[in-house]
Amino acid sequence: MLLEGFATAAQPEYLLYALLGVTLGTAVGVLPGIGPAMTVALLLPLTYTLEPTAALIIFAGIYYGGMYGGSTTSILLNTPGESASIVTALEGNKMAKAGRGAAALATAAIGSFVAGTIATVLLTLLAPVIADLAVQLGPADYVALMVVAFTTVAALLGSSPVRGLASLGLGLFIGLVGTDTLTGQQRFTLGVATMSDGIDVVVVAVGVFAVGEALYVASRLRHGPIEVIPVGGKWMTRGFWARSWKPWLRGTFIGFPIGTVPAGGADVSTFLSYAAEKKLSKRPEEFGKGAIEGVAGPEAANNAAAAGVLVPLLTLGLPTTATAAVIVAAFQSYGIQPGPLLFTNNGPMVWALIASLYIGNVMLLVLNLPLVKIWVKVLQIPRPYLYAGILLFAALGTYAVNFVVDDLIVLLVIGVIGFFMRRHGYPVAPLVVGLILGPMAEEQVRRTLQISEGKLSALVTSPFAAVAYSILVVLLVVAVVLRLRRKKSEVTV
Amino acid sequence: MIAAKVEEYAFGGLVAAVGVFTLVDATTIAGRDDNVVGPRAFPYAVGILLVVTGIAAIIATARGKLGQAEEAEDVDENVRTDWLTVAKLVAVLIVHLVLIDVVGWPVAAALLFFGAAWTLGATWWRALPIAVVLALLVQVVFAYGLGLSLPAGIFEGVPFLDG
Repeated sequence: MLLEGFATAAQPEYLLYALLGVTLGTAVGVLPGIGPAMTVALLLPLTYTLEPTAALIIFAGIYYGGMYGGSTTSILLNTPGESASIVTALEGNKMAKAGRGAAALATAAIGSFVAGTIATVLLTLLAPVIADLAVQLGPADYVALMVVAFTTVAALLGSSPVRGLASLGLGLFIGLVGTDTLTGQQRFTLGVATMSDGIDVVVVAVGVFAVGEALYVASRLRHGPIEVIPVGGKWMTRGFWARSWKPWLRGTFIGFPIGTVPAGGADVSTFLSYAAEKKLSKRPEEFGKGAIEGVAGPEAANNAAAAGVLVPLLTLGLPTTATAAVIVAAFQSYGIQPGPLLFTNNGPMVWALIASLYIGNVMLLVLNLPLVKIWVKVLQIPRPYLYAGILLFAALGTYAVNFVVDDLIVLLVIGVIGFFMRRHGYPVAPLVVGLILGPMAEEQVRRTLQISEGKLSALVTSPFAAVAYSILVVLLVVAVVLRLRRKKSEVTV
Repeated sequence: MIAAKVEEYAFGGLVAAVGVFTLVDATTIAGRDDNVVGPRAFPYAVGILLVVTGIAAIIATARGKLGQAEEAEDVDENVRTDWLTVAKLVAVLIVHLVLIDVVGWPVAAALLFFGAAWTLGATWWRALPIAVVLALLVQVVFAYGLGLSLPAGIFEGVPFLDG
């Protein structure tokens, strides 16, 4: 199956799409202010003219590429950035300042490659098995999975559970607008005709990511020259390999499982990997001053988690990060529902997609090591033009969905909401996940209750659902205990 | 500090208000009795979630737990919020969406890029040509590369620009 996928993905046309995807992905990863979620959302309408396989190969490339590009930024730019790569910034930035930028970039890129490849192998092996098991899940089990995803994305991650849940609620509300699929009733359309089709996911994602971010950055824009640290030092020495390969492997095996379960994607895995490397290191005193292990481990974990996220995405149709949510929207726009039947119904396409991940990883290694100088130039784009460009393409991407001006009004409103959310610590990822998963969750709840003829107990009596809820309760208890402990230690300090 | 608190109250209040709207408006959705769970149940749940979290956010603010503003590479934590810039950008976006159907996409887009870049501190004589070239380029790429025609407006009938 995978071989057939390679046969498809290796056709020159698809290779070109993969190259386009990883190049775009790296570029947006390098540029501050744009993330992979936003890029996929922006390109969504532009790919309607492409066939689904080609479009998904581009999106997969953007997804992986964004991870590589982000590390370049956090190593070379003198300011903190993207949450997933903050840990890299800690050590990588110190290394760059100490004139060892080349080694930091190399361990990040090669580590990403090693982790990405191993994790893609794991994805290849695991996904069909899980899909086979998932076929037996009933609607109540899906409800349980979605409740777990909602809770972890909104309440367990991030500093304020209340604000995360509020963000989730806003996303769920936007998802309600439109025509009810089961009864054909209009909901929350305010009598506006264009609202009866619902609010387009692209418009919301672009609004909250692109317009919200641009307004937020503009409100407190860092003026003056952009300080990029010059790349210095030797690329790879013998000590480099000796100190890097173990953190790469450890990072991979920390990152992949964390990405796979709906428990928070990349951030958590990078922190765990960093802590592990610090503990295991023979030279813990170097940490905080530019330890190469502190770059190698988290970078590998970051990429492995990104591949792990694809497991629930492809086999259960369950997005656990904002980017994954937008990719689900991409599938849906082609009338394809990711989930257990994906491998049976769209086998050739999925395998071509997975094969393109292997190919994309190789391309990214080439793009990010020898060509890193180009990306450093990209980093230096003057900010007024960068954010003006983001606004222009946000408006274009939105307008190109339906060619109606009404969508731009929605874009602006949601952009302003996104701006205020950023100012007050409301995470935006739960909003996007809620928007995509909300309608699916409602449908499954109603199906469960239709089958059980209204007995609410049907939602929890399936063994799988019962186990899922139990695990969730344990997770919540652990989170509360940790929070209380932290508070206590703060008080004693 | 006080301004930040007022804003936090307002946003929490907005979340709760959306929740109240959801609950009230949900009662007007026509439901069918033969369905075990009709189209109203889920909206009620979402409405309750919004009201509860909105009020909880207000209480958290009152107890001094303010939300942490997001960090980003290009954000300077040490400067005050520049509301004028935000207002100008919103105005530029409004001008853009109003003008699309009047003068066409290329002109509206060039104005959007130029307005935004200028607002953010670009030199106007450098931003202007970039804006014009970028808008025309996108128009041509859309018409010929993707086969999607953006409204040409004043360029209607002009070769390459009107797809």
